[in-house]
Amino acid sequence: MLTALLAGCGGSGDALRVFAASSLRGALPALDPGADYVFAGSETLATQIREGAGADVFVSASPRAMTGLVESGDVEQPTTFASNRLVVVVPRSRDDGIRSFTDLARPGVRLVLAGEGVPAGDYARDALRAAGLLDGALANVVSLEDAVSGVVAKVALGEADAGVVYATDARIARDDVRVIPVPAQDQPRIAYLVAPVVRGDVAAARAFVARLTGSAGRRVLEEAGFTPVGG
Amino acid sequence: MRAFTAGLWASLALAVAFLAVPLAALFLRVPPGELVSQLGSETAREALWVTVKANAVAQVIVLVVGTPAAYLLATRRFRGRDLVISVLELPLVLPPAVAGVALLAAFGRSGLLGGELEALGITIPFTEAAVVIAVCFVSSPFFVRAAITGFEGVEQQLVDAARTLGARAPRVFWRISLPLAAGSLGAGATLGFARGLGEFGATIMFAGSLPGVTQTMPLAIYDALDRDFDVALALGALLVLVSIAILLVTKALPRWARALSPSTSPSPSARSLSS
Repeated sequence: MLTALLAGCGGSGDALRVFAASSLRGALPALDPGADYVFAGSETLATQIREGAGADVFVSASPRAMTGLVESGDVEQPTTFASNRLVVVVPRSRDDGIRSFTDLARPGVRLVLAGEGVPAGDYARDALRAAGLLDGALANVVSLEDAVSGVVAKVALGEADAGVVYATDARIARDDVRVIPVPAQDQPRIAYLVAPVVRGDVAAARAFVARLTGSAGRRVLEEAGFTPVGG
Repeated sequence: MRAFTAGLWASLALAVAFLAVPLAALFLRVPPGELVSQLGSETAREALWVTVKANAVAQVIVLVVGTPAAYLLATRRFRGRDLVISVLELPLVLPPAVAGVALLAAFGRSGLLGGELEALGITIPFTEAAVVIAVCFVSSPFFVRAAITGFEGVEQQLVDAARTLGARAPRVFWRISLPLAAGSLGAGATLGFARGLGEFGATIMFAGSLPGVTQTMPLAIYDALDRDFDVALALGALLVLVSIAILLVTKALPRWARALSPSTSPSPSARSLSS
């Protein structure tokens, strides 16, 4: 959130500027430590790029945010490079008796989700709907966060009883949160896309995309808990 | 001399343009129909209601606690007074997100007082109370600073005269100091209210964001950015209008106060009393 606001303030010289979905925070810097990263919600980043923020690469956690920029001609043809899974996280510091995905609909659970329009929030709704838990779970929501990092923070701090986040976020916060799986049949298809920004340094951006979709990228993504796609 | 004056005007023009151009651009970007339809939308109405309610409650609390506290600080000198004032002013320089984390660390379920509060059956995060607390935290310095200045500006001869005539401390406070400082108190309260309306960082950390409960206007605007940029712009324009109205009231308040009760105005009647 704060990094997104700082995005307009310019980075360190000529470094590649990568605008990436919050959930990639744990993976991308290992791939290219020299680049400047701005992590925020995909839609927020898409808005900033549309408004002319100086990004070279856009990495989106949803096809929707990317599609908008393709249509407006702000990015080149995107590449799908990874997928992710949803999990339920609960704080390690307390035990509110949440053991399964279905417990999220149990009355009295203080649930935090990402908001509608935020990819993590839309995916969580898809999964809850598939499991027939949507109404019960939405009645338990105490906060709708603007990015998945907000969900993780509220659970890690022990303020919420549970949240639905990407497996990769849960991995980063594993010291503070316990993971409860979302059943395979309820998992939405979560695609991550990358594209060079037309107004940016396209040549350097293409090199970054090649690296991300190549063997180095696959290794980094797997280490962070993503499932690399293609290649 | 003429060049000097021209320089002053040029600086003013630059400052006004710098601040006004983005705001004007905001209104030009909002489709007029969108602004009108947003006024009637549930999101805007709920967010406006949450914002106004939380800020009204917060301002009452700040006024009731802040006024006597500021009076004490303005009229007494004691060891550590500067430190106390610095603590009260701290939220002015603290990034709001840090304020939010600090509030969680204090009043959150896992916070310093979380165990005690939970034992009493009180959970603060994600409630309207959390919004009120966040607003109090970030906006109180605006009122307290203005109130201290206001009370310090009350002429000592007036207070001394009242005391000589047998008025006790409470009577001096109610009949002399409070009316004379009223303009400053009003201005401080309104500025605090305006700051509270725009509160974002502490609220989203401490209170979360849920429409109709804790989602204030600034949070609704940020939330709308993820879905519909036009809605976000329209909500932003709406908040600007409300804020401008409040700031204009701030400017007018001392004038109204003077017009309503000339006898309590520090000048010129007060001066004639003390001379």
